[in-house]
Amino acid sequence: MTRAKGERSLSGWAFLAPYAVAVVLLIAVPALLNVGYAFTDHTGLTRDPQFVGLDNVRRLADDAFLADSLEASLFHVALSVPLRLLAAVGLGLLLAAPRPGGRWFRTAVYLPTVVPDVALAVLFLWVLNPLYGPLNQLLGLFGHPGYTWLSDPTTARVGVVLMLLFPIGEGFVVVLAARRLLDGRLYEAAALEGCGPFGQLRRITLPLLAPVLVLLAVRDTILTLQVNFVPAYVLTDGRPANATLYLPVYIFDQAFEFSGFAYAALITILLMLITAAIIAVQLLAVRRWRVLR
Amino acid sequence: MTDGGGLRLTGLVKAYGPVRAVEGVDLDVPAGELVTVVGPSGSGKSTMLRLIAGLERPDAGMVAVGGQDLRDVPPHRRSVAMVFQDYALYPHLTVRENIMFGLRVRKVPKGEARRQAGAAAERLGIADLLDRYPDQASGGQRQRVALARALVRSPAVYLLDEPLVSLDAQLRLSTRADLLALHRQIGSTTLHVTHDQAEAMTMGDRVVVMDAGRIRQAGPPQEVYDAPADTFVAGFLGSPPMNLVPGGGVLGGAAGGTVGVRPEDLALDPAGPIEATVDAVETLGSEAVLLTRCPDGLRLAVRTPPRLSLRPGDTVRLRFDPDRLHRFDAAGRRV
Ligand SMILES: Nc1ncnc2c1ncn2[C@@H]1O[C@H](COP(=O)(O)OP(=O)(O)OP(=O)(O)O)[C@@H](O)[C@H]1O
Ligand SMILES: [Mg+2]
Repeated sequence: MTRAKGERSLSGWAFLAPYAVAVVLLIAVPALLNVGYAFTDHTGLTRDPQFVGLDNVRRLADDAFLADSLEASLFHVALSVPLRLLAAVGLGLLLAAPRPGGRWFRTAVYLPTVVPDVALAVLFLWVLNPLYGPLNQLLGLFGHPGYTWLSDPTTARVGVVLMLLFPIGEGFVVVLAARRLLDGRLYEAAALEGCGPFGQLRRITLPLLAPVLVLLAVRDTILTLQVNFVPAYVLTDGRPANATLYLPVYIFDQAFEFSGFAYAALITILLMLITAAIIAVQLLAVRRWRVLR
Repeated sequence: MTDGGGLRLTGLVKAYGPVRAVEGVDLDVPAGELVTVVGPSGSGKSTMLRLIAGLERPDAGMVAVGGQDLRDVPPHRRSVAMVFQDYALYPHLTVRENIMFGLRVRKVPKGEARRQAGAAAERLGIADLLDRYPDQASGGQRQRVALARALVRSPAVYLLDEPLVSLDAQLRLSTRADLLALHRQIGSTTLHVTHDQAEAMTMGDRVVVMDAGRIRQAGPPQEVYDAPADTFVAGFLGSPPMNLVPGGGVLGGAAGGTVGVRPEDLALDPAGPIEATVDAVETLGSEAVLLTRCPDGLRLAVRTPPRLSLRPGDTVRLRFDPDRLHRFDAAGRRV
């Protein structure tokens, strides 16, 4: 009896082992090393880094580039997370109901998520081109002169957000699936009570989806703070005037261009702390609702 | 509370693609009457209720409440409340908020809505549940919440779609009594769909038997039981159902037609004209049902007193009351 039990749990561990080994070797160990490196003068080139105490931390305080980078990242999260959520939730709810051609629309919404982000970024180089890009031409239709998208700090940031509004397939699918799990009877009962489409959205759909929405917001915050690396690199390379020098870009620059391996390691820790702080604020904010009852 | 709204259905038709769910239903329910609707699964009972509630548009025909044609009246403007089989309570709202939902949608002030919800809950004996969530209430309690939600609308017509089906037998019995008492109190027109023979027979002023989207018979329960309009109704109402003998057979010839006899109208009698072998004995406590088989293969159910100590394989003789035979023509209609 106990023997069989022991064997069972042993085989459980055996199944877990490949995954556990990979997690330890590829994530846990590098993460720990990263914390260690943050307090050295490691350049990524030298063999034996020296411990330098809090030197790197002091350097953070008066790093003007870091301040720019932080501002760029926060601007990006503040704009991109709500917009991406809005798009994913809006499209998910609109396309959840069975309607003719629905599957084509759903495929269309998911498609940009399958496109490699470098390819999407290259596409957006064209979309945002001030001379022949379709976006400015579209604005032209409304008599607007258009923007020099990527050479102006604010529009460059907006351009990156615009591009990242397209790969929202995962959130979209989650909303779609969650909405389809909601009981259709609730909506019939509501209709009988005179609750129209917007009332149903406000009184039924959103409250019932709230746990999913919170999850998506948290996940998108984590994601959004990191995935702007590729568009920034392809579209702007951190320019203009550091407007798109997002934290991942700055970390990369420090680590691999300026050989500031140790300093970059420290900024990754900072990025993690910022992510955690934003998520904490989000969770505190939604505690008022009963969503996580 | 009711404003005397009788219900009238005329030539109601509804098809879902090739499936003809409701095929020409005519029904007249005077104000205050409680009608039970029975029929096999898929016979269109729910669809009929949904047409009345306005959740579906009829392909043809008319629904009228209190003499008013409801063709272009949206569901919430019909004085009709529906209780779904699975209750459809809002899981994210407390019982009180569930009951208040419609009132709040209709902009009834919060205090007034709370008062009405409290009163409805009081009436149904769920006042102590008001601050719980539906998933913290039992099946029977949820059923009452759904009823309370219908009650606060004080509609002219209640549509109850198998509201007791997920309750256990005990609770079903007591809730049935409560429902009846409630109906007597508020006296509003009620359509009560059920699968349960006992509910169909005991609850309604009238019972409506449906099959394949049509009403086969409507009338006072005892009348329908005593004089089923066709072989379908004969075979559907009653448990065990009426014995139907095509051609008459041992019950006396009926060329081309069918002769039926209720199990209680057959009796054991050593001098009886029918010989049969006992296949099985179903003991129900206060009575027993013998499932027998005649030499020609015909099966007859017989209701008997309990404790007869008959065993499968025993041979018995049966007598029937010629006055209690039901005769049906070749098309299955009562003659
Ligand atoms: N939305 C729908 N789409 C297609 N067919 C439907 C739909 N709703 C009902 N039907 C069909 O219409 C017929 C009648 O269905 P209905 O639900 O009214 O039966 P019912 O008498 O209520 O059955 P039950 O006793 O099982 O609840 C069935 O054949 C069913 O399959
Ligand atoms: Mg039904």
